[in-house]
Amino acid sequence: MKKFYTLILLIFITLFSFSQEDSSNSKQLDEVVVTATRTERKLGNVAVPVSIINQKAIQQAGSLRLKDVLQEHTGLYITNSFGAGVQMQGLSPDYTLIMIDGEPLVGRTAGVLDLNRVTAGNIKKIEIVKGPSSSLYGSEAMAGVINIITDRSFRKQFGTGIRYGFGNPEQGWSLPFGSDAFKNADLTLQGSNTFKKLGVQFFSNASYIDAITYRFNSTDRVPQPVWRLTNQLQLAYPFSDKTKFNFSIRDGYEHIKQEFAVSNNGTVTNSYGREANNDLNINSVVSHRFSSKVKTALRLYATSYYGSQRLHFKENPDSSYIDEFKQHFYRFEDQTDVNWKKSTLTVGAGYIIDQANSTRYDDFEDRKQNTVLYGFTQYEWRPVDKLTIIGGLRYDDNKLFAAAFSPKLATRYAISKKFIVNASIGRGFKAPDFRQLYLNFTNNAAGGYSVFGTIDAVKIINELNSLGQIAELKDDFYKLSDLKPEFSTGINAGGTFIPTNKLSFNFNLFRNDIKNLIDAREVAIRSNGTQIFSYINVQKAYTQGGEFEAGYQLIKTLHVSAGYQLLFTADKDELESIKSGKEFTRDPNGYSRLLKRSEYVGLPNRSKHMANLKLTYETEKRFFATSRFIYRSKWAVANSDGNSVYNTNDEFASGFLLVNISAGKQLKSGIRLQAGMDNVFNYQDVDNLPSLQGRMIYVGAHFDFLTSK
Amino acid sequence: MKTKIYFSILVAAVIFVGCSKDETPQSTNPNEFSVQVNGKLVTVNNLPADTITGLTSQGQPIGAGIYAFFSLATNKWIANSDSATSNWDLAFSGTTIRVNNQTSGPGNGGAFVWVGAFDNLTSIPQDSVFRIDSHPVSYAIPKGSGKGWYNYDGVTNLLTPIPGRVLVIRTANGKYAKVEILNYYKGGVTPSASASDDIKLREQRYYTFRYTYQGNGTTTF
Repeated sequence: MKKFYTLILLIFITLFSFSQEDSSNSKQLDEVVVTATRTERKLGNVAVPVSIINQKAIQQAGSLRLKDVLQEHTGLYITNSFGAGVQMQGLSPDYTLIMIDGEPLVGRTAGVLDLNRVTAGNIKKIEIVKGPSSSLYGSEAMAGVINIITDRSFRKQFGTGIRYGFGNPEQGWSLPFGSDAFKNADLTLQGSNTFKKLGVQFFSNASYIDAITYRFNSTDRVPQPVWRLTNQLQLAYPFSDKTKFNFSIRDGYEHIKQEFAVSNNGTVTNSYGREANNDLNINSVVSHRFSSKVKTALRLYATSYYGSQRLHFKENPDSSYIDEFKQHFYRFEDQTDVNWKKSTLTVGAGYIIDQANSTRYDDFEDRKQNTVLYGFTQYEWRPVDKLTIIGGLRYDDNKLFAAAFSPKLATRYAISKKFIVNASIGRGFKAPDFRQLYLNFTNNAAGGYSVFGTIDAVKIINELNSLGQIAELKDDFYKLSDLKPEFSTGINAGGTFIPTNKLSFNFNLFRNDIKNLIDAREVAIRSNGTQIFSYINVQKAYTQGGEFEAGYQLIKTLHVSAGYQLLFTADKDELESIKSGKEFTRDPNGYSRLLKRSEYVGLPNRSKHMANLKLTYETEKRFFATSRFIYRSKWAVANSDGNSVYNTNDEFASGFLLVNISAGKQLKSGIRLQAGMDNVFNYQDVDNLPSLQGRMIYVGAHFDFLTSK
Repeated sequence: MKTKIYFSILVAAVIFVGCSKDETPQSTNPNEFSVQVNGKLVTVNNLPADTITGLTSQGQPIGAGIYAFFSLATNKWIANSDSATSNWDLAFSGTTIRVNNQTSGPGNGGAFVWVGAFDNLTSIPQDSVFRIDSHPVSYAIPKGSGKGWYNYDGVTNLLTPIPGRVLVIRTANGKYAKVEILNYYKGGVTPSASASDDIKLREQRYYTFRYTYQGNGTTTF
């Protein structure tokens, strides 16, 4: 590791001694973003923290899935349980809304939307808005919004891309071939054309990876092959200059082969089967421009997600395990924008139908449904060029639980052309999900505990009690009531400073105060000793910190960018308990002593420091090379001193550095070649990062058969 | 965090003991058990408290349903044949700790859990209420994760004594003692979170604790 830091230092010294030439750092402010204000705005004119990942960066990094893209971005951390989720401003994956072309993806498992479901192949750019200043998007947009904008060009074009990768994490630097090597193949086909006025574009991607898992409580790797298919068809038809129609249908399929053994006190059960997940998104938008000032967009969106797991047992061939989850989500929305010289008014309203079936609810056939009627408005005022003030609010009327009101206020001020500051405050919310309302699940394979959603928990437990099956009702049982949405108030303040056109800085300070956090609590104990859990709004927490990014064009061909996030979190009740001297820890003898405030680390699975460094070398002859360094400091994983607050005496996963490199060349014949290596130093942590593959080498090519100018 | 909690539910198991103190003594390796006396402070290592013999069909650990009886007055492990006497002050079985009174024995025992550091308890507060066992419904020293002296982590399947909990004991003969449970695993070392379930099961139910006994009948230590 020491060698490595020396290497980085050397790179820096070499680079900074170069003379400086031309650059393009200030150009980024001219990029257009839509997610921040729901209207098209130049990045430099937006009052809330927003950042963009563009197609070129995604291609150059050799990213295949959305997870690969986001993990290299400042302030985002990819979590590991129930698929790859994204942690933003220290908030769990549950609180980030993920959209494709402005429409939300559904189908979360335990609150996590698996980022591996989304291929990076046809992403034109990704817009990331942090903090609840993104509150006009409704539920889930509490930590922020990630909007994936797919490629929507309809010029005559046909191309294909292929990539093959392999790795053998256990063999060090020797060639990773042989039967125990891991393989990874990715194939993409895409084409588009405009027939008279009708624009047609299709995209297909097939991806195979020998993903790995580990045998239960061991370090034995088990291949877990995953197939993923994505197809998307997009149509665009302009009825006139004023009226346009867009249609998109996207289908994603995922097949994961499963084969594992669980040892229970010497008895081994071999399970085999598969997990399959399917999602379908259909999206149509009619937009109409009434005049140069007024335009409206009518959006109709339908999406479904169907996930299932089927397992059979070798020792008991007649029995099987089936777990199914189905979600249907329909949304109808209109948004109208009115533009005056110095201001813009946005008004919108919509209706959502959200439905779910699950084998983990009382009856798979009994469909659960929530409907939401919502309206939002936003007024953007630009009294002078230098100043923008935006106020907005949204009201969501839920059928199943309390209404949510989310206001926001944001402002931006250009002190000079080189220095722009902005500040925003907003409230976001997350509605309780179906699982928290309807779960009715008893796990006989693991101790026989039960979890009941709040809608029926009291009724079920009272029934069990009258049958004499309850040994003890916990204090939390009496706190069970209708779940309320979780709320967060976020404050962001930051700025952009561009001293020369070779150098740029971005910074943002944030604080999120979260209340009504929903927690799973033990509410009763059955007479046979098994626990019963349900959900309660209990916790109050905060996350706060700062984010810093810098970009520097060292020489014409070499660009360096760096990012850093500092994060502090706390459960407010725990903090109060520590401050009032009620929390203890143990000294090296095992004897109790008072826990100090400075030892408290806040919420688990959060790193205080996260940083990234990216070097991009690009020549006029269209050759490029990148190296990306991603660092994350240690994070708390288990409470080992018994006091149930996470502190420096607990068990931590060690911090780590990931290094990815890539290089490629665009040939004149329409062929693009690329090769790279992910996780160069083969970093692995079986216990805490089970899905982190070892070193992977890949080669790829992209062919454009037909390109019109 | 929520995913963690969800996961914890997935693997949660309850330590559950069915018991009667009249059963036959268990055979143990006496080398594992030791008592160290250092002035007023006594440390007991590896007291086996009904170590597990298997799992129930629901995956919960079970033992033979027996107790390890201990005398704070004499620093000795008391034979099961003396279970119906006032010779013992505490009886350990799994996570259950019983005091010698009423449903548990003929003595005048009692206990309550005091929050604070062991050394800071120099005299038992005047207004203290000593509880007694009401087996099998409730105990002077409450059972359950976060209720009395331990926390159980469903993610790691590990049981840890809560730091800052002192068991204030009235002995079978009406004297007083303060006890701090230090560890629940063999050798006084909690297995690492990534240890196998097998190890976590096999090495549990070995108490390491320290105590100070006040033999003169006063409530100061």
